[in-house]
Amino acid sequence: MIAVLFLSALAAAAQSPPDFADGRAIYRSNCAFCHGLTGRGGRGPALVGRTLMHGSTDEDLRAVIRGGVPGTTMPAFETMEPDELDRLVAFIRHMGGSASPAAEIAGDPARGRQIYQRTECASCHRVGDRGSVYGPDLTRIGAARSLEYLRESLLAPSADILQEYEGVTVVTGEGKQVTGIRVNEDNFTVQLRDASQQFRMFVKNEVSQVKHEAKSLMPAYGSLPPADLQDLLAYLGSLRGSIKAGGDVRKADGIR
Amino acid sequence: MRRARFALLLALAAALPAQVSYERLVNARREPQNWLTYWGDYTAIRHRDLSQVHTGNVKDLRMDWMFQTGVPGAFQTVPLVVNGIMYFTAAGGQAFALDARTGRQLWHYKHAFPPGRRAGSVNRGFAILGDRLFMVTPDCNVVALETLTGRLAWQTEIVPYKKGTYYATVAPLAVKDKIIVGISGGEEGTRGFIDAYNAATGERAWRFWTVPAKGEPGGETWLGDSWMRGGGPAWLTGSFDPALNTLYWGIGNPGPDLYGGDRLGDNLYTDSLVALDPDSGKLKWHFQFTPHDTHDWDACQTLMLLDLNWQGRPRKLVVQANRNAFFYVLDRETGEFLMGKPFARQTWAKGLDAKGRPIVLPNTEPSPEGTRLCPGLAGATNWMAPSYNPQTGLFYLPVREQCDIYYSSPPKYIEGKPYWGSVFRGVTDEKEWGLLKALDPLTGETRWDFRYHRAPWAGTLSTAGGLVFAGDEDGYLMAFDARSGKDLWKFYTGNRLVSSPITYEVNGRQYITMPSGAALLTFALPEGAQARQ
Repeated sequence: MIAVLFLSALAAAAQSPPDFADGRAIYRSNCAFCHGLTGRGGRGPALVGRTLMHGSTDEDLRAVIRGGVPGTTMPAFETMEPDELDRLVAFIRHMGGSASPAAEIAGDPARGRQIYQRTECASCHRVGDRGSVYGPDLTRIGAARSLEYLRESLLAPSADILQEYEGVTVVTGEGKQVTGIRVNEDNFTVQLRDASQQFRMFVKNEVSQVKHEAKSLMPAYGSLPPADLQDLLAYLGSLRGSIKAGGDVRKADGIR
Repeated sequence: MRRARFALLLALAAALPAQVSYERLVNARREPQNWLTYWGDYTAIRHRDLSQVHTGNVKDLRMDWMFQTGVPGAFQTVPLVVNGIMYFTAAGGQAFALDARTGRQLWHYKHAFPPGRRAGSVNRGFAILGDRLFMVTPDCNVVALETLTGRLAWQTEIVPYKKGTYYATVAPLAVKDKIIVGISGGEEGTRGFIDAYNAATGERAWRFWTVPAKGEPGGETWLGDSWMRGGGPAWLTGSFDPALNTLYWGIGNPGPDLYGGDRLGDNLYTDSLVALDPDSGKLKWHFQFTPHDTHDWDACQTLMLLDLNWQGRPRKLVVQANRNAFFYVLDRETGEFLMGKPFARQTWAKGLDAKGRPIVLPNTEPSPEGTRLCPGLAGATNWMAPSYNPQTGLFYLPVREQCDIYYSSPPKYIEGKPYWGSVFRGVTDEKEWGLLKALDPLTGETRWDFRYHRAPWAGTLSTAGGLVFAGDEDGYLMAFDARSGKDLWKFYTGNRLVSSPITYEVNGRQYITMPSGAALLTFALPEGAQARQ
């Protein structure tokens, strides 16, 4: 009798309050790396408290997880089982709680755009067809990154430098310094793109030094007035265009 | 008279194919012009007494020919060369024979897959015995091919093929009259084994289960029925000592890889060296490098047999640079642990105890939150071959410096699905790099090293020309001075390198061959240059 009661208590515990432990484990090992431990985003966009780019129904979420997002860094989790997918989606919903998508970005994107132009962001970055390819393309940056990540990138650009945007300075035999974004590198050679958007290519034993910059080549914008910063963020957050398809272009297989 | 002459001709013709006898395999190092086994010979030292290309002229080495297989997928083969003919396998159950001097094709074999069967996965090469070549297929067969024609002599199913479970990649090892193969599938919830097949008939002679069943010796090292899906693949070729009549084989990881909660215990014989009787498949002794592994640090790497003066007396040794970042020296007659020293950065063990068992540091298990640990899952080294030069007494080793974050959660076993127990991610706070290291195998100390920009997946070759050839992850095939480590020559092959170079000689000319991409690249000194040496 006691045994029966105990067993039915166990069964009840297993069924009744939704247990998110499984979903949490799946989320932490597969998703948190980009979307953050609490789903507030990181390198990847926030999954809670905002409108999702690729649809917000459970079915949309499942489709994106299984199929990935072509042309972005979101991979396809093809081997995930349907029940794992269910538990994962349930956990993402659970993390979201009652967060409202409306409270996304405070600030004036139109004014932010003027600030973008005034601070000459386009001398390094590109939106659509305009600007420079020296720094990361910002055409869909609002969809790809969380607001907190973008804020950090403006105030402390060295906090997280993507491998494909690491800075290198080559000191030539004549003592000339050439700084640029590392496009490719191996034991014997290094290829850069400099601020004038030109490729610069070197054989290591022909130069006197190859220095890997610990800091981002992007300046910090901590001196912007808080209101300007907020507006600039609002503008960046509004950038959700599509980068022209036509195939997946990688700078170099070496950089990963 | 005419009839007698005809009979003589017939007898000659029948004797024509190169007979690679067992005796030739035992004495393979006495024919440096050939490359007769996956590792070059039974001891796996990957050193050749060829010195036409040497430290003084290697700068003139240039590509002599290139053969395009047209086969996509990682090209991990190590070719065999016998009397001027090169035999090699490619991915997808394909194989080729070439004129080793010119690269011109002699035959091309394609395994017949049953309809609907996936033809992927890598293959590491052939074994040769008599006038037959032996390879495994991705869908778990051993096939024997005629050296002369590439025609199928026999085909034996290792296990019934089921997608997402067992598969096969190993280069078989010919020992006496048997063909030894190990199985793959350590991430698929399988139970590993090593098989021996009769070279003449294809009949299975014995099977050694790398994971003992409940009730068998070692079975007590597995919780419950976890042994049934315990892993322990045997996907890299072993080595063999004819005098001791002992086969040495490295065993892979336990499964699920990253979650150990359901398989408490040491999990024998995963991550171990097993010493087997090649006639019966019976276990002589074992040594486990990483008990109860939860980081996929299998022990399949090269088991090199060295006869060295160990602390004042000659001793028969087996050495291994293990994926877990320690370099081990064991007595290969008894399995006694003699030495273990880290050769790469490792953050998981305080050291090894007197018996060679690791003293594991706390908080090194994979966890739901992720645990940062070095080396990464791919290990401090892997299938890429080390080599040993008896003249320098140095062991040349490709080293991977790369750390991972290991995640863990209890997996559910579903047949045909990966059985990992969660995932791993490369760390983002530092870049990986690699090294070519020259170790003193008697002390484990580094004599020289050369830094690679990235962690390598290609191995090494040592020659009597005082050279070490090695490949890197960016696609350079390089030659180094074996004594000083100075880089003397390089060639950019245009694709990452995932195999190990070989050398051979035809008509008095020395060649070096390396697979890259879908091509086989062969190098030599310019024609006529050797006459001037």
